[in-house]
Amino acid sequence: MKRDEILMKLFSEDSKPLALEDVFVVEIAEENFAAAITGSLFAEMGAKVLRVEFSDEAKKISPFGVKIGEVGIPYFVESRNKEIVKFSDEIKEKIFSADVIIDGTLPGYLDSIGIGYRQISERNPKAIYVAISPFGHFTSKAKEFKNVPDSDLTAQAYNGYPMLIGNPYLSGEHSYPLRAGLWAAWAMAGVNAAVGAMIALLERLRSGRGQFVDVATNDALAVVTTFPAVMGFLFEKPRGRFGTIDYLMYPFGYHKVKDGYIALATPTDADFRALLKILNRWDLEPDWKFTLDRISDDLERIRVLDEELNKTLRNFTIRGLLKKSAKMRKSRLPFFGKFLGRPVIVKINTLKEVLQDEHWKIRRSFLKVKLNGKEVLIPNSPIKASETPPRIKKLLGKEVSD
Amino acid sequence: MTDYFEFIGSLMKGKGRGEALKGLKVVEITHFIFGPNIGRVLAQFGAEVVKIETPGEGDRYRAAAIFGRFYNRANLLYAILNANKYVVAMDARNEKARRIIFELLKQADVFVENLSAGLVEAMGIGYDRIVKVNPRIVYVSCSGYGQYGPLSRMPSFDVAAQGVSSVAMKTGWEDVDEFYKLPDYFGDYLPSMIAIFAVLSALYHREKTGKGQYIDISQCESLMRFMYDFTFYSVTGDEIGKTGNLDPASSPSGIFRTKDGKFVAISILTNSQFNALRSLIPELEDGNRLRKEKIKELNAKVAKWVEQKTKDEILEIAKKLGIPVQPVLDDKEVIEDPWRWERGSLLKFRDRLLGEIPITGAIVEMSETPGKIKWLGRPVGYHNRLVLKKWLKMNDEEIKKLEEEGVIGYWDEMPGIAPPLIWSAERDEVFKGEKDEEG
Repeated sequence: MKRDEILMKLFSEDSKPLALEDVFVVEIAEENFAAAITGSLFAEMGAKVLRVEFSDEAKKISPFGVKIGEVGIPYFVESRNKEIVKFSDEIKEKIFSADVIIDGTLPGYLDSIGIGYRQISERNPKAIYVAISPFGHFTSKAKEFKNVPDSDLTAQAYNGYPMLIGNPYLSGEHSYPLRAGLWAAWAMAGVNAAVGAMIALLERLRSGRGQFVDVATNDALAVVTTFPAVMGFLFEKPRGRFGTIDYLMYPFGYHKVKDGYIALATPTDADFRALLKILNRWDLEPDWKFTLDRISDDLERIRVLDEELNKTLRNFTIRGLLKKSAKMRKSRLPFFGKFLGRPVIVKINTLKEVLQDEHWKIRRSFLKVKLNGKEVLIPNSPIKASETPPRIKKLLGKEVSD
Repeated sequence: MTDYFEFIGSLMKGKGRGEALKGLKVVEITHFIFGPNIGRVLAQFGAEVVKIETPGEGDRYRAAAIFGRFYNRANLLYAILNANKYVVAMDARNEKARRIIFELLKQADVFVENLSAGLVEAMGIGYDRIVKVNPRIVYVSCSGYGQYGPLSRMPSFDVAAQGVSSVAMKTGWEDVDEFYKLPDYFGDYLPSMIAIFAVLSALYHREKTGKGQYIDISQCESLMRFMYDFTFYSVTGDEIGKTGNLDPASSPSGIFRTKDGKFVAISILTNSQFNALRSLIPELEDGNRLRKEKIKELNAKVAKWVEQKTKDEILEIAKKLGIPVQPVLDDKEVIEDPWRWERGSLLKFRDRLLGEIPITGAIVEMSETPGKIKWLGRPVGYHNRLVLKKWLKMNDEEIKKLEEEGVIGYWDEMPGIAPPLIWSAERDEVFKGEKDEEG
């Protein structure tokens, strides 16, 4: 049997258990989608997730207001496998019996209505309480900003993210710091919170005790990537917007070619030399030979090389570049990588191209839900697991299929 | 009753119950960010992580210092990403080295690799072989496109994954023919956090059943999971595409320049937030405010209002009225932010080899089992002797023989790879394998 067939069989979902099927999670996220994402990760892994709502505001949030039935797209996608109920006295009692409580509301709000960590942990010391908010649930700043609601864009901003995106040579508003085009801070915060909750759950198996887990969306990116800390220590000035240029290696970005766009990376000097061979630009080699020649906080210097490469790349088609690149010899062992290089060149895809690609169909990266005779696509869980594959069975009561 | 914030603060300052993942043994053959970040987080919470590198240059991320700047001959990005790990260096071309790696994997609870798809099989340590001698192992393969499927053998890096998954098409201005990547290797870090969640879930299952498993995580699928654009496209037939600073699910929303030349982000998600903002800017009219043209119209009015106020004035208003507003910070402002130091997400750390350095703390704050940084990433092969003694019970003579045969090795004298210049092998008991990092 071929490797692919063996792996597909290994990762099949047939009659397998779910990893977290004995875990009961209560998600009180309201319009905080980082918290909803945390709940989704648990729900995909088989936990019973009860989403408790005070209002309908989360349902209204959707790109350009597009609705699926009565709800917005993020709400629809993140409803995976969840039971959704309105808050009531009966539900309040259930919250006390949860293994994991995800709180995406303003810090202290649930405490003020008697279902915060101090009340829950008193009755249920095994409870794991996961709080997700802009500044967390402790520190003087968290208290000062307790009434400021969360959003992805504001969290990106406080993480220092938009200051790194965009082209400083453009004028007017186009030179402003720029937002990452997806919910980068909320996605990271949601996953971080799920990781924290799982660490606590594993530890609980040993100690029998729960604990408080705190995630600040305003720090979720910076604390994971570590870049601002290192930058602040080593340099007097902050990083600016570098357009498509990177600060660890060059090239490592997007470039326009004759018939579209490519992502291009040359992680080693050998890879860079291979790129120059492909482009017939060996004349650039002496000045830009080493990694350290090609990275600098002096953007003007790197732009010289960037402009040369961009000028040359526009003469090539994507297909032509891929064909030439495939002919370069690349060592699979790190040691030989010093000598044999091949640049990483891939086509930048549109959504349509992604959805048409056989690869993602084979991997079941997207699932379908039938609604009024129409098929709606949702992204599947990105986790492939041989013994406990995550599964999405229902969205708002609708069956999910391949 | 105690103030809520003080109550939670007191929990966070408590003594706690020690390390959550103590006793968990992890082996990784990883490079750059995607794979190493998995071991980093597990090690923060107490796992014993052994990282296997190639003698000489080691993980190639060691050489990728920010703007080429090293500190005490270390790449601090590598040092933080590989904190709390035991680093060993073995030449995988050598049969004996492969046997040692195999022996380490027999003892491991978790194995993480992010080599090219299929390479671990060629090294004789594929899942099919390891599971036969260690059925409890949680084995994780990280790659750009996953372990199977037509693209699986294609090379990948953060930027490539962002391109193939179409994330690249999302960031930029609608009327400017340029795309920008999500910075700071989002295409590595986010997938790695998902992989950690998968590993922890698998460990939870193992605690209940005794069974390990194989996990396959792809960068592209991890990114696509958070692109609501695919669902939008299937419903409308249109791509959302680049929208500049406007969040299409939030109106008004954007990044605006204040009177004092600063930038603030404003993102209105609910009706009550909108009404609060309208109480300040009466010209704002709702009327299906999420329509694309309507968001632009509202943003123009907000921009005018913002340019008449200073950043601090706007933040004061946000606090009073409950409006999602935050300043747009740069690197310097992030590291100088007192909140982060109070919270513990930034801390001054004194490393035995590198000296005092500000570093990021644990990725989440936990009241009873807080994460901890114990030492920073070490030179190539630094823990060879310690690990071979501790894990495989080898003696000094056996280790010396492996060194002479080139089975195990150490660093080249290059920045990012070697110890600080003032370091002395003779005086370093940990390097000699006589003492553990924590004494």
